[in-house]
Amino acid sequence: MTNIARTGQSLLIAASSMLFAAFTSALVVRRAIGGDWVSPPLPYWIWLTLPLAPLASWWIHRGRTGWAMAAGVLLVALQLAVLAQLRLAVIGEAFCAVLTAAHAVHAAAGVAALGRFGVNAGLFWHFAGLLWLYLLFLLGVWA
Amino acid sequence: MDARGAAEGRTAVTLFSTDHRVIGKQYIGLALFSVLLGMLLSLVMRFHLVHPDSKVRLFQMLWPDGAPGGQMTPELYLSLMTMHGTIMVFFVLTTAPQSGFGNYFLPLQLGAKDMAFPVLNMLSFWTTALSLVTLLAAFLVEGGAPLSGWTAYPPLSGLGKITGPGQGLGQDLWIVSIALFCAASLMGAINFIVTVIELRAPGMGYFDMPLTCWGWFVTALISLFAFAVLLAGGILLLLDRSAGTSFFIPAGLVVNDQAQTRSGGSPILFQHLFWFFGHPEVYIAILPGMGLISTVLGVFSGKKVFGYKAMAIAMLAIGGLGFVVWGHHMFISGMSPYSSIAFSVLTLAVGVPSAVKTFNWLATLWGGRLRFSAAMHYALGFVSLFITGGITGLVLGQPGLDIYFHDTYFVVAHFHLIMGVAAIFAIFAGLHYWFPKMYGRFLHEGLGKLHFFLTFALVYAVFVPLHFAGFVGNPRRYPDFKEYEFLKTVLPLHIGVTHAAYTLAAVQLLFLGNYFWSKRRGAVAPANPWGADTREWSDD
Repeated sequence: MTNIARTGQSLLIAASSMLFAAFTSALVVRRAIGGDWVSPPLPYWIWLTLPLAPLASWWIHRGRTGWAMAAGVLLVALQLAVLAQLRLAVIGEAFCAVLTAAHAVHAAAGVAALGRFGVNAGLFWHFAGLLWLYLLFLLGVWA
Repeated sequence: MDARGAAEGRTAVTLFSTDHRVIGKQYIGLALFSVLLGMLLSLVMRFHLVHPDSKVRLFQMLWPDGAPGGQMTPELYLSLMTMHGTIMVFFVLTTAPQSGFGNYFLPLQLGAKDMAFPVLNMLSFWTTALSLVTLLAAFLVEGGAPLSGWTAYPPLSGLGKITGPGQGLGQDLWIVSIALFCAASLMGAINFIVTVIELRAPGMGYFDMPLTCWGWFVTALISLFAFAVLLAGGILLLLDRSAGTSFFIPAGLVVNDQAQTRSGGSPILFQHLFWFFGHPEVYIAILPGMGLISTVLGVFSGKKVFGYKAMAIAMLAIGGLGFVVWGHHMFISGMSPYSSIAFSVLTLAVGVPSAVKTFNWLATLWGGRLRFSAAMHYALGFVSLFITGGITGLVLGQPGLDIYFHDTYFVVAHFHLIMGVAAIFAIFAGLHYWFPKMYGRFLHEGLGKLHFFLTFALVYAVFVPLHFAGFVGNPRRYPDFKEYEFLKTVLPLHIGVTHAAYTLAAVQLLFLGNYFWSKRRGAVAPANPWGADTREWSDD
């Protein structure tokens, strides 16, 4: 990977991190002050996505971008299935929907980038995977 | 005929050019169009403030619903204000100094062939253009442009049509436009930062870069961390409007006699997200100007800039502090006084690197062989405006004073001087300084100086009196002062301000004439007309 590609991806990761940091801080504040917070009822099968992120990263590490892309597509599909079940009028579920949708956009972009640039786009995928693990913890455990 | 055919072919190619020079000029063109439009809107507002009851046929033709019978409604006034602010902040102050000059000159000054990602650069410009078109479309849709100002606070911005004309589709378009602008700015920021980190000429360290490059670099860093947060706020706001969520809409709200069904949201939460972006945005507008002014003062003093390293570090410090002072926009939002004190102290701390810069500019002039070119005039004007506008920042940064001044014309005067006019003076300085490089000809120097003196006097004539209106407690955003007994005393002052504003706008024709005349007929410039030592003048 060229230095330019690595630096560019790192900066994109920094900007994305700020987006999710902003959503997270909104969630933390809204949960604390709203008085109407109910823990979002995520479907149990959302945990099927848990191994997908590290698996995709491992495949990228081994140079198997095709397998990593398949894992990415499966992740996005499961995320869309989760989205279909959430009710936006309930604030906790609305946050789940926003964060899941925002991640799905990142994951889809990551898949497209893997297709276009191969392992050179791996850095962004590692980030997207880590980000999903964080979101699973935030939405599935903490909130 | 051949020449014309070739010219047309070139137009088609350059429209989607990936050449950083073309993109830089495209950004400057977009900003020039926007600044004229924004200025016209401000003139209509100034007219209305002193003639609130007059019926104007033109208004009726332009806005049949907003000005029935030619009589401007308060809603129309607010929509003009919203569009003026949004156009000026995003499409002029964020666009010209950074994306315009930066695109053109950053690669040249670093000794790079182009920006790191030329295609991304082209996409970034066209996304900005699409964003501008989306914003302007708000004028044309049912209900017209939104009313909630460039800050778009909910609940006004979060409930849709029920809160007023323009709060329906107009506000939706506004949010989509800003989201597009965020995306374009993030692309631009990544491009600028990668270019600085990876494409500096061999042997050029960070502290060998001209201060202009430092300005663009720090601004890009700020954009990278700030715009994503605005995007987050915009997405949540759009969902509140269209999907019935309650991120920002509190419970128990009754709007126009209709009870709202939302619960638990917090308008203050939006303010935090907005100003976490909004304050750094101020520095996005001014930092490229600081870099440019440092260069211009150095060149026309026949000296190196005094305290180069301190200047670069001061820019980094201003950029960093910019992210921890946003609460000073929210002193009256009900925040804890302890938080207010923290935000206040941090805000006043911005004065330290700002003073470093100001004193270094003065020290650069000291003992120099000064050449008073038009660009030098504007640079000195910038320093003056930076001081007068900055000093009132120290006033507003104190919670006790801000509680009184909040949402008065004092604030309007403050931010127009420091963020608006100072940055515009930097743009004027940049155009006069770099015109020979961009077009091979000089802008007319005499006309430039005449334009400078008139503009300089008139911006003070417009904005100094507004401080006094603020002392009286004259609120912003009110379309009609005569309804309030306590504002009767400031009406004569507003009449004066409005006349100064008319004259100021008329004087800008001098600049426009100079710009378009000099592009074709100006005196031909040599390769390095000002005797500068930065690379853009030798590289070609």
